Amino acid sequence: MVNKMRIFKVLLTITLLLGLSSNLAAKELKVGFVYVSPVGDAGWSYAHDMGRQAVEALDGVTTSYVEAVPEGPDAERVIQNMARKDYDVVFATSFGYMDPMLKVAKQFPDTVFMHCSGFKTAKNMGNYFGRMYQARFLSGMVAGAMTESDIIGYAAAFPIPEVIRGINAFTLGAQSVNEDATVRVVWTKTWYDPATEKEAAKSLLDVGADVIAQHQDSPGPQEAAQEKGVYSIGYNSDMSTFAPKAHLTAPVWNWGPYYQSVIKEVQEGTWKSESVWPGIETGIVGLAPFGDMVPQEIRDMVAAKKAELVAGTTDVFTGPIKDQQGKVRIAEGVQADDKTLLGMTWFVEGIVGTTK
Amino acid sequence: MIVELFIPLLAATIQSGTPLLYATLGEIITEKSGVLNLGVEGIMIVGALMGFLAASFTGNPALAFFVAGLAGTATAAIHGLVCLVFQGNQVVSGLALTILGAGFANYLGTSFVGQSAPGFSPYAIPYLSDIPVLGPIAFNHDPLVYLTYVIPVIIWFYLFSTRHGLSIRAVGENPFAARAGGLSVSDYRWAGILGGGFFMGLGGGYLSLAYTHLWTNNMTAGRGWIAVALVIFAFWRPGRAVFGAYLFGGIMSLQLRLQAAGTELPSSLLLMLPYLLTIIVLVLSSWKSSKSAAPAALGVNMEPSE
Amino acid sequence: MLHLKISKRQDPLGWRSCFVIFGAVALALFFSALLLALRGTPPHEGIFVLFKGAFGSRWAIEDCLIKAIPIFLCSLGVAIAFRLQIWNIGAEGQFCMGALGATWMALSFPDQPAWVVLPAMVIMAVIAGGLWGFIPALLRQKMQTNEIIVSLMMNYIAILILDYLVYGIWKDPTSFGFPMSPTFSDAAIVGKIGSTSVNWGLLHCAVLAVAVWAFFRFTTIGYELKASGSNVKAARYAGLPYNKQVFLVMILSGALAGWAGFIEASATVNRLQPSIMVGYGYTAIVVAWLASLNPFYIGIASILLAGLRVGVENLQLDLQVPAAFGGIMEGFILLTVLAGGFFIYYRFSFTAKQ
Repeated sequence: MVNKMRIFKVLLTITLLLGLSSNLAAKELKVGFVYVSPVGDAGWSYAHDMGRQAVEALDGVTTSYVEAVPEGPDAERVIQNMARKDYDVVFATSFGYMDPMLKVAKQFPDTVFMHCSGFKTAKNMGNYFGRMYQARFLSGMVAGAMTESDIIGYAAAFPIPEVIRGINAFTLGAQSVNEDATVRVVWTKTWYDPATEKEAAKSLLDVGADVIAQHQDSPGPQEAAQEKGVYSIGYNSDMSTFAPKAHLTAPVWNWGPYYQSVIKEVQEGTWKSESVWPGIETGIVGLAPFGDMVPQEIRDMVAAKKAELVAGTTDVFTGPIKDQQGKVRIAEGVQADDKTLLGMTWFVEGIVGTTK
Repeated sequence: MIVELFIPLLAATIQSGTPLLYATLGEIITEKSGVLNLGVEGIMIVGALMGFLAASFTGNPALAFFVAGLAGTATAAIHGLVCLVFQGNQVVSGLALTILGAGFANYLGTSFVGQSAPGFSPYAIPYLSDIPVLGPIAFNHDPLVYLTYVIPVIIWFYLFSTRHGLSIRAVGENPFAARAGGLSVSDYRWAGILGGGFFMGLGGGYLSLAYTHLWTNNMTAGRGWIAVALVIFAFWRPGRAVFGAYLFGGIMSLQLRLQAAGTELPSSLLLMLPYLLTIIVLVLSSWKSSKSAAPAALGVNMEPSE
Repeated sequence: MLHLKISKRQDPLGWRSCFVIFGAVALALFFSALLLALRGTPPHEGIFVLFKGAFGSRWAIEDCLIKAIPIFLCSLGVAIAFRLQIWNIGAEGQFCMGALGATWMALSFPDQPAWVVLPAMVIMAVIAGGLWGFIPALLRQKMQTNEIIVSLMMNYIAILILDYLVYGIWKDPTSFGFPMSPTFSDAAIVGKIGSTSVNWGLLHCAVLAVAVWAFFRFTTIGYELKASGSNVKAARYAGLPYNKQVFLVMILSGALAGWAGFIEASATVNRLQPSIMVGYGYTAIVVAWLASLNPFYIGIASILLAGLRVGVENLQLDLQVPAAFGGIMEGFILLTVLAGGFFIYYRFSFTAKQ
């Protein structure tokens, strides 16, 4: 009888444990996203939102977002709000959210905070980014190969390191297939203003550019290229619908798989705070499909280079690399470290434009 | 090289100046009737969104452009209601309309950011566009620009050579005398507000249907305010408005082109140019005229009679 | 046949105008709710989430107060100018310049104690803001230039100056090239009241409000300003120094907005960055008008409109309503209050007339 009692107790315990754990597993994870611009901008926030939708598709997860949140105290409040409403994970997708998020992370130790493109961490706050510059390099190769005037125009938003780094990588890529390629940069001082961006692209076309690239979130520059009958490189997402005859390719973000992996870690309890900067080998950045006008040999060239980047046998910022004044910034054979990359405020040789 | 750059710059000037021109003409009509409408910015944004939506849903850019104008009229009607009927302060009402218009358009339009809609594309007029220098500058634009070659003339004719136009101006110069003469001040002011609103809406529609085929929040980026200043610069005359609009269009295009040409000037300073120029131009216009060219009764509500 | 007769009231509605204002705001809420429905959001739920987000918890109210502080100060300034019918639309730029002035001091004296740095910051902020108010006044009085456009254009220019500085000489060397000034030293930060998240700027607001009220109530200059405000021509005949008055109100107006910029940069953001500009200067105009330019009512209206901003964030998070909804409500409120003014100043009745 004692045996039966014991068996019964054991079975009961097992059942209870099973019940509890399935409850735990069934607990809905609330995940919040904070965006710096409207979601539909076909740009930066749009790409992040695609990632959010991938997370939403996971079992046991619900997501929500707030868009167009200015950096600073407003962001702090929004993140705080999410934490107060018992969100389990919060993603903040702009550099300027770093300090606000850190403040909130200290107040809510049980919530997981993930910051994109920053560098500060806490026990419950990690940061992440993607090596977009690798995809930029590849897109630069396409531009360099397709240009006939050897002038490539680049409409860029703000002279911050991320943008400058992208322009440099793009230029290096163009130069790797076309020694004479030059890149001219115009700063629009806006992330998404189609009218200004289109005007910027036009001003570049007027000085002889026959390929237009952009670090902008709207397809304005693509329209300008299409109207003039020249080529263009998009950004953030495939912009070919806006300029089917012009759009060669675009460096794009693919946050979905990374976001899913973070959520899975949280669900399984294996998440820990770290600073990660995954590259093209994880698929977090990539190239949009080539337009029909891109010849096969260029596609093959790019594919080969991409394979090298994925395998890690080469990298984009390996010296010798000179700046616009001719000074060597990265010595021969040296691969630039992350710190240099993250703080890049100078242009490489072959770029016409100032970083002010 | 300079000459080569000059022609595209002038061509860009005409394009950039076109939305300003539409909006300025609209505000001239309204102010001539004695009503100050500071809501131009808000009306333009609503026009831009509504035009864009209409093009998206109907696929017909010309119809969409007209819808943009109608949306402008409808929005301006709010100003008319508040000021003409409820005797609201015209300055503050215009401001409120700007806040509301921008809010409304951004609210509805957020879901449409990133989409493209059918619009107008440049169409080179045969023969005319082959004229050296003038051809590429003036005759290689979209049809809405070509419209602006004609509209100022029509408006000038209407305001200064028709009885209706005369009545509108009378109501703006001396409403008491006008009323004594049998004119309905309120009716003609409504005409000024609604008619002006139509052109302001067109100015907005131009941005999302021709200048680009896209919509974005805050698309007008202050152009409505520049238009209000341009009315003063133009001494309330359609002809001079053309000059003013192109001058400012040129400045707005210039700063980007200077960058493309490789200038070392910081872009923040270049971006200030349109606003600085507006102030300078305003100072010069107001200073030089000892007798103000403004309609005498501008901005003052007429109290209801009885 | 009945005929509608409209006539101006001898005495505008006094305290009863409250009802008109409430009615107007309610109507504005109604219109806004309609727009919620237009986009598929259930209106009653939307309004409920809005209020709950704004005032439904201790931290929400604290958030409202924090936001109300800059709105209040800018509005106090705007009201002073509006009293004289000088349309100062430049509060946004004056706020910006105030933040710039404060930052300049904070960055210039990183090692000084608070009793040195903070007053320096206030003084420079007030001077910078006052200057930005002075310029439109100068152009108005000396060159008959419309102050509305000038002050508005200067808003844009001020923001571009801010951009230029944070991308250039004031850029934080540790910010990885992102445009922001270094964080202010602890001495340069206005602290929080007790354990709340509200900063001492609240006290500044109260003190300044009383000062402004006392100024208008008890001083000769204040009395003269009120006189000019109600009838410019008569005041001129009476020999009042209208010219000087214009300068005075614009400088005061700019100075108050500059003070707001100081508090926001010091207490809320703790540094200078472009995102410090969120449109408080424009909301201030709505508040000033809503409050009929009265400092006490400005206090109430500031909290309400700050609450609107805070509540709208909640709307975004819970119901995915776009952020621009706040602008819609502000616009509607101002328009309905403007229209409501009609009932305060006019009476209408029906008479039998042939």
